[in-house]
Amino acid sequence: MLVLSRKAEQSLMLGPDITLTVLAIDGDRVKLGIRAPRSVSVLRQELYDQLQQANTAAVTSPADLRRVAAALHARRPDAASSLTVATTPES
Amino acid sequence: MLSPAAIADQSLAPASAASATLAFPDGLVGCQDWKNFVLLTEDEEDLPVACLQSLDQPLVRLLVTDPRLIDATYTVPLSDDDRASLDVGPAEDTALYCTLTIGADGFITANLLGPLVINPRTRRGRQLVLTDSGYSARHPVAQLQGE
Repeated sequence: MLVLSRKAEQSLMLGPDITLTVLAIDGDRVKLGIRAPRSVSVLRQELYDQLQQANTAAVTSPADLRRVAAALHARRPDAASSLTVATTPES
Repeated sequence: MLSPAAIADQSLAPASAASATLAFPDGLVGCQDWKNFVLLTEDEEDLPVACLQSLDQPLVRLLVTDPRLIDATYTVPLSDDDRASLDVGPAEDTALYCTLTIGADGFITANLLGPLVINPRTRRGRQLVLTDSGYSARHPVAQLQGE
């Protein structure tokens, strides 16, 4: 791992179009500013890990579909029971 | 990549007219290879759950629902950047799904923290992360029946 020291208000360039700026340091908290293209996803590591774990854990067998649908229906029988397949372009 | 025909022998059918590929150009968070899916539904029956089948990895199948069926107040605030990356206009609607996970104890949870937002016009989607929303990646939903 590359280790660099920076003071408040100093920046780092990660490649040509990502700027990481130390905005403020307060005790054990560092406030960072990130300027990056829209295509670059910026996430706290904990959230990234949490989402990765959730996505991996969600892999299932299609055979579970009916059982899960029944459990959802039993939970809220009054709710609209069918999933609107809203991915059809409207004509 | 699997063709939709290759999965047609399973009991699930491609959702009518929606059998075309749904593309997530960045993949899902932490699963960058999961880029192309088809949405499969139970044939001839309206269910609140569908199956998102990966075309890149045949064993990757995710059960999804509309998160608003789980929490009627659920909303995904789309920033200008989100709208731009999805090519969604200010007045255009998006399709919204969240994945469902069956825990080892048979309890179903929903990932409300990382919804799948899809532009129905372009059939492209992204998994957004609702940072600071208070939503959980394991929102409790229901116990599987008979467990």
